[in-house]
Amino acid sequence: MHLDLSELSQLAPIFRELFKGFHISRRDPELYAQLSNFQDQYRGLFRALGFELVCDTRGFYYFVPEQAAAQVNKTAQRLSLFTFILVEHLADQGRDPIAVLDGGSLGRDELPSLLEKYRDLFIQAEVQTPDELEEKIMRRMTQLGFASEENGIYRFLPPMHRFLDVCLSVQQDRDLAASLHSALPLPTPVLVDEDSDEKLLKTDDPLDLGPFDDLDETEEEALARAIAEEQQEIDA
Amino acid sequence: MIEPKRVLRALAEHWALLEPLCERFDQGTLSLAELRLQLATQQLESTPQDITNLLDVWIRLDILVPVAKSPNRFELNAQIHDFLAYLRREHRLGLCLEIEAYLRHLERLAGHIQDAFDIRDGNDLARQLRLLDMRVRDVLKKLDNDEQALVAVAERAKTSDRQIPLRQRYAEVLATWDEYVEPMIQLVNADGAFEQGVRKVETVLLRLLSEQARLGQLVDDDMLLRTHARILEMQTSAQLTLRHARELLLPLREEARRHNAVTRGAALALSVIRRKGLDAVPHAAMPLFTRPQSTFLGSASQVEAYVYALARFEPKPAQFPKAHKSQKGEPPRAPRTVKEMLERCTDALPMPDLMTWLLEQEPECATDELLYWFSRLSREKRFTRERLERRDYNTREHQVSLRSFALTSSRETPLEPTASTSHAS
Repeated sequence: MHLDLSELSQLAPIFRELFKGFHISRRDPELYAQLSNFQDQYRGLFRALGFELVCDTRGFYYFVPEQAAAQVNKTAQRLSLFTFILVEHLADQGRDPIAVLDGGSLGRDELPSLLEKYRDLFIQAEVQTPDELEEKIMRRMTQLGFASEENGIYRFLPPMHRFLDVCLSVQQDRDLAASLHSALPLPTPVLVDEDSDEKLLKTDDPLDLGPFDDLDETEEEALARAIAEEQQEIDA
Repeated sequence: MIEPKRVLRALAEHWALLEPLCERFDQGTLSLAELRLQLATQQLESTPQDITNLLDVWIRLDILVPVAKSPNRFELNAQIHDFLAYLRREHRLGLCLEIEAYLRHLERLAGHIQDAFDIRDGNDLARQLRLLDMRVRDVLKKLDNDEQALVAVAERAKTSDRQIPLRQRYAEVLATWDEYVEPMIQLVNADGAFEQGVRKVETVLLRLLSEQARLGQLVDDDMLLRTHARILEMQTSAQLTLRHARELLLPLREEARRHNAVTRGAALALSVIRRKGLDAVPHAAMPLFTRPQSTFLGSASQVEAYVYALARFEPKPAQFPKAHKSQKGEPPRAPRTVKEMLERCTDALPMPDLMTWLLEQEPECATDELLYWFSRLSREKRFTRERLERRDYNTREHQVSLRSFALTSSRETPLEPTASTSHAS
């Protein structure tokens, strides 16, 4: 493919944003127009550099990380959880979740009541205070291009479709639904080895209430954890 | 027998009162008291006697008719109601079954036409052809009406309050799809009743044309050709109506279905998370995205500095000097932490050249570490930076060519809204 770099006038800002994990949508008209007009060129160039540019027809662009390096991180889990909560919350209120999450808006003043209502779930994502909700979820959403914030109003942008797709794929996951509806996992027979009593107590049952084994953190693990925590602190 | 002119005159004269009433009657019947109240609000200066007289006229002209078994409730005469709906360009969606019934009737008429031709009854043949033509016009009229009604269904769904639940908003769309569009698809199918009926009538008409050429004319060929053309028009019209209906309603129906799926998916995910934790949501479903600022320039000593900053970090036990050895040089210096460097940098603001400052502050520092600090400090959001011209800098071991930054406090100078900083964390 022939590439004329003079055409790709927004290459530097586009790459910088995408590389940071940002999703470019019509909210950034200049970058979005460039990407739409020279989609193939940008995609070809980025592919040659080892980056996969995804052009979603619903109106946004982003880099998908390499599968080898990709892992579902805490942020993805937190943002997905927030989407699930918001969809259920809006549906409970009789509002249209898709209308809100696809171009609609949510007032910052609605967040405390949302946190209160779903406290048990937010705790799992290490979000306990309205400040943490803003910091760990809403700010991340704006940083990644899923939402924009103006005068205390969060407006959701087209990349939110990525999270709506999660809802759809969960809905289609029959195994997940089946596992939810079965009261207990199927018991697996435990074979007694010789005459050790301890092995009798060990099961694969997730509901097993036996005490956990002592988790000894190795020195390397402690170091890795400490570095990650420090990095998060600096990023935040 | 009610004189048509009087009915038409009354409709024209009282149009301003009847039109709003039409909307009320679209919803159902009205009691005499409700009717009086409605009219009183529209005609503020009229007396109760005026209203009684007016209602009397309408009842005498059969514009208003009492509801069966409820003499105190009234409705618009069905014929008048249809006529008014036509005048108000309102279209009520008919039933697909009506079209099917018309089609069956057309097939029967084709049989009568065939019979009339067989017995060479010219008058009956002409009458049956006229009837066929009128029925085809009825179907065309109905298809046109249905199409307008479908447009109105879609319009209502699109323009209704976005805040009401989608299920309610699209209830009419879903019902219309199930009760009209789906049966119409079956009807207009290649082997459906519509196509079969049209083909049967068409065959009869074409055979009639060729037989007339052979046996002599019973009716004008033009009449046969006109009817045939209208049959084909009806067929095209039905296909167009169906296509239009699908184009209008399918996206709305899909939206409603998608909405249900999204809501169900979210509820399912939340119940799984409640019972089994956040990790229970299948990772394959999760969106992957590059972690913001996933890369940073660092050096080995930097990693040590991170760890040093942690409260619980215990440095390796110091090597105590042996009694017989004297200590060489100065004791090793503790590594710099980000916090410490940021504070020092803040104190030194405004800074004309970051790299020069770093070289002055840390003359013994390794090049990679200096570059780390250069990158880290220049990206700090509490500073406003301004690019300088490229020049060479000499570290302890290397000569580095770069474009340094002048730093000022971002509190003093408003931040430049550039693309590079607007989304930075």
